[in-house]
Amino acid sequence: MRTDSTELGDARRRVEALVCDLPGGGVDERMFTEPWELRAFAMAVAAYHSGRYEWSEFQLSLIRAIKQWEDGHASEPWSYYEHWLTALETVLADNGVLSDAAIDERTREVLAIPRTANHHKAHREPVAVSPAVV
Amino acid sequence: MTPDPSPAPTDTRLRTQDEIAARVKALESMLIEKGIMTTEAIDRLAEIYENEVGPQLGAKVVARAWTDPEFKQRLLADASAACADMGIGGLQGEEMVVVENTDTVHNAIVCTLCSCYPWPVLGLPPNWYKAPAYRSRIVREPRKVLAEDFGFEIPDSVEIRLWDSSSELRYWVLPKRPEGTEDMGAFELAALVTRDSMIGVGPAASPTA
Repeated sequence: MRTDSTELGDARRRVEALVCDLPGGGVDERMFTEPWELRAFAMAVAAYHSGRYEWSEFQLSLIRAIKQWEDGHASEPWSYYEHWLTALETVLADNGVLSDAAIDERTREVLAIPRTANHHKAHREPVAVSPAVV
Repeated sequence: MTPDPSPAPTDTRLRTQDEIAARVKALESMLIEKGIMTTEAIDRLAEIYENEVGPQLGAKVVARAWTDPEFKQRLLADASAACADMGIGGLQGEEMVVVENTDTVHNAIVCTLCSCYPWPVLGLPPNWYKAPAYRSRIVREPRKVLAEDFGFEIPDSVEIRLWDSSSELRYWVLPKRPEGTEDMGAFELAALVTRDSMIGVGPAASPTA
């Protein structure tokens, strides 16, 4: 069930070689604090692996997103992965993969579904018990 | 679908975390539909960092419960409130319940339908927690799965209870305090509390290990 830790270590080195040249490189900034941040991070790398864009395009897009924040909105709270998401959406739109309007529409659909729609009820008893053998 | 000659993507700022999370989910589902990536590919990348997401504050809570009986009572009575007292929260209103392992009862958590998990306390769930194999088998044959998949033998004299987390109510486990730790303080003890021990698929580390 578990991935071998050396294999994970190798995978990590490969990903870090990719991200080490990106702007906003502080360790604290890059720490993930919400699950969506990690999904957005992984998607940008996966889309690059599938050949949808050059890594330099994503890099440039991220630089622009951060610059835009510095230029106009520096009063807003800094969120590295919001810039990351903006950069990913931009680079996908620029390459004709997905339009902003289409993502907007799907986002509204996702928001319309209650969170884990099928699993909203509290279960107050154990779902299974394996009794002691005396 | 033809891409719009679109302006820059909508400003992602000034949104709630829920809205951003929904947007990321939307993006992921569309990229998968288009065959640009697979869930497995994203999971594999995410797995590299899964131990680093979220505050993983559960260990501090467990160590305090081991050393402060009054706190332990409060934790077992109302985990959400007891954690809030330690400045640990961030759950969006869901209830948290902590179940205690004893000499006669062992507890483990699962989400049978999806991957509900008390992540603001335990960090992001490991991949196997979300896998169908764990979700179905741990319920059917908990003793066997703990022994075979996790190398964690539960004596036959101990009852095993499985708790199904949902989006409304999330469980996590207060593991047994390891032997030989009588002289240790909360700070040292916290280092022994593993993620797996709070899921219930492993013991807390022993101080000599």
